[in-house]
Amino acid sequence: MAETQKTAVKSNQPLALFAAVAGWLVPGLGHLLLGKWGKAIGYFVAVASLAVVGLRLRGDVFTSGGDAFGTLGFLADLGAGVFYFLAHTIDAAGPDVSRAAGDYGTRLIATAGVLNLLCVLEAFQIGLHQDRKS
Amino acid sequence: MLNHFEIMTIFSLAVALAFALLSKQRASERALYFLWAFLGFMAVAIGIGWLMYPFSR
Repeated sequence: MAETQKTAVKSNQPLALFAAVAGWLVPGLGHLLLGKWGKAIGYFVAVASLAVVGLRLRGDVFTSGGDAFGTLGFLADLGAGVFYFLAHTIDAAGPDVSRAAGDYGTRLIATAGVLNLLCVLEAFQIGLHQDRKS
Repeated sequence: MLNHFEIMTIFSLAVALAFALLSKQRASERALYFLWAFLGFMAVAIGIGWLMYPFSR
């Protein structure tokens, strides 16, 4: 019985990995591919609202190659997927942390990224245990 | 431009929504968790704000 479950989980790995990568790139897309419409919409709304508001508040978007704190910020921001890559399109003016709003924006963008990483992990787990017949 | 309260409200709504979807399975449980998480975020933030008020001047 346990062996059968282990084999099923192993055979689902490509699907789970694909859902996780899709979910990272576009928040909620992983759940959408797995047929979880409600969760997909909810996660997209949550992550997108945080990321877009954070960028519109002119929050700082970290890039790689900084100090330890900057690297953590970069990893958190990168978690937001498409919103990280479109940061300069969404807010062409660029970051401005000289005002409190810009500082809040920085936190909102990082929160969006970390939330999306949690969603990615859940999509991966759902993908692993999803019945292929359903 | 959004004020601080509006930013805090957006943060609380978004995080409470994601946490509710992540941690609960049934719709009724999710709705209740969402409400409690949202109100908890707001209450704690406003409470800490009031506690810090005497030191702001």
